This record gives sequence, C-alpha cells and structure tokens, in this order.
Amino acid sequence: MALLEVDGLTVEIATPEGPVAILENLDLSLERGRSLGLVGESGCGKSMTALAVMGLLPKAARALGAIRLDGQNLLALSEEALCGLRGRRVAMIFQEPMTALNPVKPIGQQVAESLRQHLQLPRAEAEARAARLLDRVGLPRARFPLGLFPHQLSGGQRQRVLIAAAMACGPDLLIADEPTTALDVTIQAQVLDLIAELVEAEGLALLLITHDLGVVAEMADEVAVMYSGRIVEAAPAETLFREMAHPYARGLFAAMPQAPGSTEDGSARLTTIPGRVPHPAERPAGCAFAPRCPHRLTACAEDPPIEQLAGAHWVRCLAPQRGAPKS
Amino acid sequence: MATKVGLAAALAESSKSRAFVIGGAISAFFLFVALLALVWTPHSVLQMAIREKLQGPSWSHLLGTDQFGRDLLSMLMVGASNSIGVAVVAVAVGLAFGVPLGALAAAKRGWVDEVVMRFNDFAFAFPALLSAVMITAVFGPGGVNSIIAIGIFNIPVFARVTRGGALSLWQREYVLAARVAGKGTTRITVEHILPNIASLLIVQGTIQFALGILAEAGLSYLGLGTQPPLPSWGKMLAEAQTMLFLAPQLAILPGLAIVLAVLGLNLLGDGLRDLLDPRLRRAR
Repeated sequence: MALLEVDGLTVEIATPEGPVAILENLDLSLERGRSLGLVGESGCGKSMTALAVMGLLPKAARALGAIRLDGQNLLALSEEALCGLRGRRVAMIFQEPMTALNPVKPIGQQVAESLRQHLQLPRAEAEARAARLLDRVGLPRARFPLGLFPHQLSGGQRQRVLIAAAMACGPDLLIADEPTTALDVTIQAQVLDLIAELVEAEGLALLLITHDLGVVAEMADEVAVMYSGRIVEAAPAETLFREMAHPYARGLFAAMPQAPGSTEDGSARLTTIPGRVPHPAERPAGCAFAPRCPHRLTACAEDPPIEQLAGAHWVRCLAPQRGAPKS
Repeated sequence: MATKVGLAAALAESSKSRAFVIGGAISAFFLFVALLALVWTPHSVLQMAIREKLQGPSWSHLLGTDQFGRDLLSMLMVGASNSIGVAVVAVAVGLAFGVPLGALAAAKRGWVDEVVMRFNDFAFAFPALLSAVMITAVFGPGGVNSIIAIGIFNIPVFARVTRGGALSLWQREYVLAARVAGKGTTRITVEHILPNIASLLIVQGTIQFALGILAEAGLSYLGLGTQPPLPSWGKMLAEAQTMLFLAPQLAILPGLAIVLAVLGLNLLGDGLRDLLDPRLRRAR
C-alpha cells in the first residue's frame, strides 16, 4: 500500500456565487522512498493540494474524497489528531525561507520546538538533537550556534534551518512547496541535493511542488502535471520527459529558458503559452486548457477521458502528442 | 556576521534616541523617588505641626510646608509612590485581561471576535475618567477602587492593540509553518504571536502608565482617589487651590510633578516605539 493516497480529492470554496471547485477529482499516490513532482503554473492548485494533505485548508473550503496516509483517511480526523500528525509524520517546507522563520526566536529553539512538543524531549536533549540536525543540514554548531537569529542567516541557510526543523521528528512524508524558488541558482542546487540526500537516507516520501520542470527532472521519480485544479498528465519522470503527451505539459517544457544558441535555429527567443490559467469560477466546460491549446478539436468542449498511453503514463487529452517534446 | 546581540547592542542603539534617554531618565528618577518614599522620607507626612505652617524653603523643609505644617517634599515623594503604584496595578490589570482577550479574538475570529470587540467598543464609548468617577461613586472612594476603575478602562485598550498586532501576525508564513509543525492555536499564540507583539504592548504600557497617573491625580483631585491623611498629587492640588495667592508653590509643585512624570513617560513610550519598531529603525 502506498504511504500517501489521494483519492478523488475535490476541494470546493464557498463563494457568494456558490461553491467553486479549485481542485477536481485529484488522484495521487506516493510510496515511501519515492518522490512525486507536482508541476503547474501559479494558480493551478498545487499549493492547495499541499494544504489539503496537511489538513490546513482555509475555513471556507470543503474537501471531498479521501486523503489516506498509511490507510488512514486524514479528512475524517479531528483537528487534535491532525495536530499530532503534522510535524511528526507529515512535514512541510515553504517557498519563502525569509518569512517562514519567526524573527524573534533563535534558530536552535525553532528546530527544537517540535521535538519538545511531539516527542516530549526535555530541553537539553532537544537542543542537543537540534544541534545534530543543524549539523546534518550543513550548519555546523561551531559556525552556526543555536542562538543565532534568522536575520543573521542568508536565504539558503534559513532554508536549511527549515529543513532541519521539518526533519526533526523523522517524518514519513515531506511536502516541499517550491522549496528553491526564492533562492539563487547555485544555492538552489545545494538545497535540492540536500533534500534528495535526506529523502534517500531516511526513506522519506517527497511531494515536491514546483513550477520548474528542471527541478522536477532532477528530483522526481514520478511527475503529475496539473492544470486548473486537475491532473492532466501523470507518468514516471523518465517516460514523461521522453514522450510528453499533453499539449499543456509540452507547452510548459517549451517555455523553459534555454541557453542562447542551444535551440535548433539558434534563436534564444522564449516560447510562451498564450493566455492564462482560467479562474476556477470561469473554467470552461470540457478541457480547461482547450482555449489555449494549439491542437484544439471541437470535441474538446466535452470532458476528455483519461487515457492510458503506457504502463503508468496517463493523460487527460483527446489529442495526445507523440515523441519527445521540443524546447 | 559580527552583529552585536543582546543587552550591549540594545544599549548602544538606545543611546541614539534622545526621547528615550530623556524620558527614561525622568521616569527612572520618579521611580527612584517612589521607591525611596516607601522606606524613607525627610519628615513623616502624617505628622502635623501647625506652628510651622506655610513656611518657605529652608534646610529642614527643602520645599517648605503646607497649611498644616507638613513637609512638602515628603508629601510629593509619597504622592509619587502612590501615583506610580496605582498606575502599575492599573496597567497590570489591563495587560492581564486585555491581552488574553485580544489574542483570543484574533485567534478564533468569527463570533468570538465579534463579541470581544463589541464589548470593547462598548467600554470605549464611555469617557474613561467619567466612568471611573461613577465606579468610585458607587463603590465608595479609596485607593483600591480607583485602581480598579482605572484598570478596567485599560482592558479594552490592550485588547485592541493585541488583536490588531496578532491579526496581521496570523497571516505570516511562520505561523503557517508552526501549524504545519502540528502546533495548536494556544501554542502558536504563546510561542509566536505574543513575543512578536511584545514591543507594541510595552509601548502601549508606558502610555497607559502615564494616563493612569493622570487619572489617579484626577480622581484624587475630586476626592475620589487616595483618602486623607495619605497625600497624593491630585489631592495636594485640590487643597492648594484655595491658597493659590497665599502660597502658590503648594499648587505649582505637585502640578509640576504630574506634568514631568507624564511627559517623561510619554517620551519614554515614543523612544521605545522608535527603538523597538524595526521599520522605523531602518528609516532613521
């Protein structure tokens, strides 16, 4: 059984015009020791998926379906039970390391906090553990004493503190929401290496949320591409990069910046996908991507069926493309 | 990364703010006098010596005597400890009830927030001093009742400040991070919200402290605060009123004490706000 199973997850937000579905019928599954990349543009529901798994949806939101962790449906749990799970079995790191740490507390305390809360460790032991954790993420105590405050650290160092805090109780599932978006490219690579190494060493399951296909290619075993609250394509990472089928996924791939001269015709012009993600309340009937799709058919006005292309390669499209994507 | 942390840096920084230094010095002086008056005054303030009434300054009575021959300096000193004592307790009452109420309102939102804030508006709608007069009139004049009366009207002030600060903090990412780490509402409030609004509360505390001194003086002036024979600044003003042409120093000195104490505390509050607010710090 997979560690995390998201089964037909639909999240609706109540608005004055009636409920609007921001996630629709989402299916995901993630095994221990594997990593799943969740890719999509801003506003497609990636972060909402993470919040749903953590049980931290906004009050106006209603979740249907099931999110199972080791077979236990998280949507049916009480807030108290969820508090016991968060930080202990499911941990999360955020996009903005600059704001995700409390500015008035030393870093050692912030790492030790969840140890003291979840494992009821005494102060001294929790601090010793925190020092080991910080050392593990590349902040040795000699140079980075526990008493440092967040403003004394750089963005990359802060992200390492957050990773140490997330890893403190030895969680089973780590959710990384755009963990490197706010960092420099060089620091990005270091932080990703660190996460990959931790995932491997601790046998974590990693749910990696990003808009960066490069990050996904480097980190993920499996990929799910999201568009406007739905998963439009899912496949093992290798398969996906070899033969992306959904026009949206191919569009995303083509929109990645290339080094000048590396394209066939030598141009360095950035490809874009015309238009923008529709607001969930104004989502068109049928395929939500159809209005922006270069391969649109008249039949796209109906909901496209989910089609299995190969073993674990699924796509929600009437006109799946073949062959390696161009970039 | 050679930033100085802790007390040394805080002191170095604080000496740059003139308001903080002057206000701090005045407040410290009054605090010292108030503490000293608890253990020692030049003369007893309860002892009358009619033959020595209305004297000018002399070596035995540095500031002279009042119409009953009591030493004016001693009375001012005891008045200081009296005023400061009332203000301290009144601020403490405001903090003890206002902060939990405000934090609760910000954490729970919804109807809890509505109830707390409407109750707040209700308390704000009354002029505080007038209501304090009413409370002391109903429950009888005296030190303790005036403390309660002034304290009650500090509660909505602190509740509002706490709620305002906490509301914006609840939107911060580190609060979300704390929730993700499995912390409940109470824990987040204690560990993340309150430490971040401590500076707001300290500043508001100094301002309420000054207002407390003024309110105590006002109540005593009306005869509703500290009762005779214990002296207080407000009562001294009231008694000196009738002899304003005969012995003006009897009114001027306690009036000056009130002005100075309030001025010092307000300067201290301004200085503290400049020092503790990082946005203003960068702008300076």
